[in-house]
Amino acid sequence: MDSGVLNRLNGGAIWLVCGTIVAFIAVVCVVFMVRAWRAGKALGMDPVKMRRAVTSSATFSILPSLGILLGVLALSGSLGTPWPWLRLSVIGALHYETVVAEGAAEQVGVKLGTESMTVEAFATIALLMSACIVGGMILAVFFNKRYLRKLQGRNPAASGKSSGGFGDRAMIAMFIGLVSAYIGSYIGGFVSQKPSPDAAGEYVSARFSFLGDWTPLVAVAASAAAMGVFIWLKEKKGLDWVENFAVAGSMLVGMAAAVLVRL
Amino acid sequence: MTNREKNFSYDAYLNRTHFLGRIVSVLALIMLLGAPFVIGGVLGAMPDLAAAGRGFLAVGLIWAASSVVEYLVYTPMLGAGGSYLAFITGNLINMKIPCAMNARELTGAKSGTAENEVISTLSIATSSLVTILVLALGVLLMIPLQPVLRAPALQPAFASVVPALFGAMACQYYRKDPKLAVVPLCAMSLLFILVPSLISSTSMMIIPSGAIAIGLAYAGWRKTRKEEG
Repeated sequence: MDSGVLNRLNGGAIWLVCGTIVAFIAVVCVVFMVRAWRAGKALGMDPVKMRRAVTSSATFSILPSLGILLGVLALSGSLGTPWPWLRLSVIGALHYETVVAEGAAEQVGVKLGTESMTVEAFATIALLMSACIVGGMILAVFFNKRYLRKLQGRNPAASGKSSGGFGDRAMIAMFIGLVSAYIGSYIGGFVSQKPSPDAAGEYVSARFSFLGDWTPLVAVAASAAAMGVFIWLKEKKGLDWVENFAVAGSMLVGMAAAVLVRL
Repeated sequence: MTNREKNFSYDAYLNRTHFLGRIVSVLALIMLLGAPFVIGGVLGAMPDLAAAGRGFLAVGLIWAASSVVEYLVYTPMLGAGGSYLAFITGNLINMKIPCAMNARELTGAKSGTAENEVISTLSIATSSLVTILVLALGVLLMIPLQPVLRAPALQPAFASVVPALFGAMACQYYRKDPKLAVVPLCAMSLLFILVPSLISSTSMMIIPSGAIAIGLAYAGWRKTRKEEG
């Protein structure tokens, strides 16, 4: 990575922009919290119960937050620190951010975490990361009031589950399709590309040469194996807390494997 | 009980929550979409809208579809205040939803009630604040680490962020339906082996790959439904 670009992405002005937004959202959270607390008191709810909701939520959130922090670390090498910090503090989720950043990088002709990154590319990537996740917010603005009125008094656990439930399977299938496209591209890259004679670190088409970059395949294998261990720890050993670190932890294992094979 | 508490109307509270929630959601939306332009202005390089549009078609559509599903499924669990906050602050599946469920269980609040509205708003707001705090502290601690992060030996790690994510996701999702994974994975590998020039537009290939997987899943689902009668 060109450290000049990364320096600029870590510049004070960027911190200020991202920090302002994070601060705004923190204030919003405090306002909603105070309002809910007062409403609860007015409704005659037991303050002990309300305090319990707050403390249990605080303790519950610490471990996942540490997992999210690892995600900031993972993305900071390609996008600087402030932007991933903003994205993961207030709206995003690691898997979402990474997929969208990669898709956007492809459109502007750069690769994440490589020398090819430019500030122009960054601005476009950042915009796409913002634009792709606003769905929930827009839906909430337009439909929350009506939707919740309709549901009031009904038990969502009973009405929310549609019979047969293709929705769930469609989601799983969509992710399987997504993952397959990328893993397929790494396999294709290894089998049918070779290093470019002109530019170091670039690859050109060469069908069945088996000279392509195999580092992504190592990263895939290592992180999949790590995820397998996380799942095993959770399901067989009953260590539920490991789930908080599963995605970010597996990614770091995959990334470490890439470093080792390239030493 | 104070006078104010006596005059409390839950309906009025909900109405104000919706009003406030809409305003802050729109403000957050403007800020998040505006930030890349402000940053672009600072860096002297504006976003390329055409490229962003193409990217949106490739990867954005998947997330748009999943955000509709998330919205429909999660909103009833979160209530009014909680859902505005949760959609602004993100990390739903991995944190906000289980956190709110946990708080609800601990306090015995029933969904759809005023009590649940209060508890889930308190829970989501607390959870968001904790994340903001942990990340702010963590990022401050990371600043001195910057030179280490930029060591040339570590660069393959950052170039491998995406494959590392897909490895983890492959393990998570393939195991849910291994048979379903075979066809799209083989089809995509074969496609990229035979047409390596497509590798530079992998994100576009998510669409056919996803379509294959969803089509197969639908066929399988129809079959089991028929068998069950």
